[in-house]
Amino acid sequence: MRKTILVLSLLALSSTLAALAADDKVVIQYDCIPNYANWGGVAALYKKVAGVTVPPDPKGSSVALAALEKEKDAPQADTAYYSGAIGFLAAEKGLHEPYKPKGWEKIPAALKDPAGRWWTVHTSAIAFVVNTKALGGAPVPRSWADLLKPVYKGKIAYDDPTWGGTSFTLVYGVNELFGGNDKNFKPGLEYLKKLDANVSSYPRESVYNGVLRGEIPIWINADGNGYKMKWVDNGPVEVVLPAEGTFTMPLVMGLVKGAPHKEEAKKYLDWLLTAPAQAEFARGYFLPVVAGSLPVEVASHVLPAKEYKRARALDLARMAAASDVLKKAWTEQIRGTGR
Amino acid sequence: MTRSLNRSSATGALLALPLLVFLIAAVAWPLASLAGHALSGPGWGAVRQVLAAGRYRTALVNSLGLSAAAAFCSVLLAVGPAWILARERFPGRDALRTAISLPLTFSGVLVGFLMVVLMGRIGVIPEILGVLTGRRIFEGAAYTVAGLFVAYLYFELPRAVMTLESAFRRFPRELDLAARTLGAGPLQRLLRVGLPLAAPALRSTLAVTFSASMGSFGVALILSRRFTVAPLEVYTEMTGYLNDEVAGALALMLAFSTMAVDRLLSMGKR
Repeated sequence: MRKTILVLSLLALSSTLAALAADDKVVIQYDCIPNYANWGGVAALYKKVAGVTVPPDPKGSSVALAALEKEKDAPQADTAYYSGAIGFLAAEKGLHEPYKPKGWEKIPAALKDPAGRWWTVHTSAIAFVVNTKALGGAPVPRSWADLLKPVYKGKIAYDDPTWGGTSFTLVYGVNELFGGNDKNFKPGLEYLKKLDANVSSYPRESVYNGVLRGEIPIWINADGNGYKMKWVDNGPVEVVLPAEGTFTMPLVMGLVKGAPHKEEAKKYLDWLLTAPAQAEFARGYFLPVVAGSLPVEVASHVLPAKEYKRARALDLARMAAASDVLKKAWTEQIRGTGR
Repeated sequence: MTRSLNRSSATGALLALPLLVFLIAAVAWPLASLAGHALSGPGWGAVRQVLAAGRYRTALVNSLGLSAAAAFCSVLLAVGPAWILARERFPGRDALRTAISLPLTFSGVLVGFLMVVLMGRIGVIPEILGVLTGRRIFEGAAYTVAGLFVAYLYFELPRAVMTLESAFRRFPRELDLAARTLGAGPLQRLLRVGLPLAAPALRSTLAVTFSASMGSFGVALILSRRFTVAPLEVYTEMTGYLNDEVAGALALMLAFSTMAVDRLLSMGKR
């Protein structure tokens, strides 16, 4: 009996090792969340076309940056995906090595680092993701000013900006929209303080399902997540680009300095800019960075281009430089003293 | 005799080796590294920052208060059920015990989501009460300090029941019977026999539930809105600001304050 167990476990062990050896083609990407920007679909497609595995990874932008910083002397990841300012910061900290993937020229100049330390793979815009069935009779809000109305009390949430890059973009952008800049956060924080009266929570985890269920009727987040709720998950969801204006958010990547699978990573990063990969991102409703790769059915699902004229780009360098100060100020003034 | 003793102590050392390796790898080394980070700044700056009035100290005080309250209440509520489980025989006892211990297998994040499902904005409880009374009572209660406390009770109560039950099982029944024979009334028996016997078990149960609450992270991660606890601040310092020094100092203070309370509770045990 004991012998049988021994033989069986040896067999199991050797088959596991064999599977690992056969599957040695792998690219490690920090922040590869399957239901964010359709990374699950993109990774599955890459496995099919190239036979290379890109395992899912649950880190958000900030956590990915923290991990790369910790592993600087013995890098474990080949590439990482971030919201723009955080990726910019990673490049500034010297965590990336310059690389210009094939198709580089197709990326607009404002959406890449001239030296190749980061580049955009797709973009998104900050929007109100509204679960219309959960509003309790209140009208769909159309503007930042609407959100302050008492009818939305307890119905609004946006992620903690110390956790998510999307929300950091929101907090930074609102400040610019209301007349602040990277040195003066007062206008934005004043607005957010007023908004706080209507906010039910500042999540530090993905609340995608909570919005879909109606626990959170209004979520200020990336437009693409709202479109996906509406068209893929058939939720009673409307995406609103606020009347006063909103902000675009480039989502960027870079080649990690000292990447353990550098050659495979380069091939993967090249592939991410090809038409099929860009179209796959678009199926998660994140806008392809390469013009002309938006599938027709996806184009018909999103708001018309004239609505997006209200979305302005933010300066990533200034955002990155302001990140710690603004996050601290937000924590102290909006989340409060902790009592 | 000596030979066999030597052999048995050698076997003992060999058996203890895995534990020793584990303790070094999983406790001593990380703790040293943590202390290294915490104390690396000039003049122990990070520790001073944590202990100065402000968000970090508030988080520590909150953690101590919430954990103490959760430990105290869960032990108080657990005494009855634990006594019945230990002393009475009734059909379905094993099933009941299994049901009570079930929450112990849930992670904190799961307990947090459970609270949201029960007492969130569209929670089951406000929905039902809304239909019954016309008022949506407990709507959003999950996100309040009271909600957080209930969630802590939810996972500490089973821990308290299980720990106390195994202690109650070992109580010698003869002492109680003897006291009764000698003419002691129920109150006297409880005060003079029951409580002195139970005191060490109550203290160690308090220590176990308190420590578990101090380290709990997932529940507060999901539920806390303003009210913060120390593990949450450690997480934010690490992931939000890459601030190893403050995160380390805070974690160290968390560990020390937990150990200090546990030590206090176990004093005079023997």
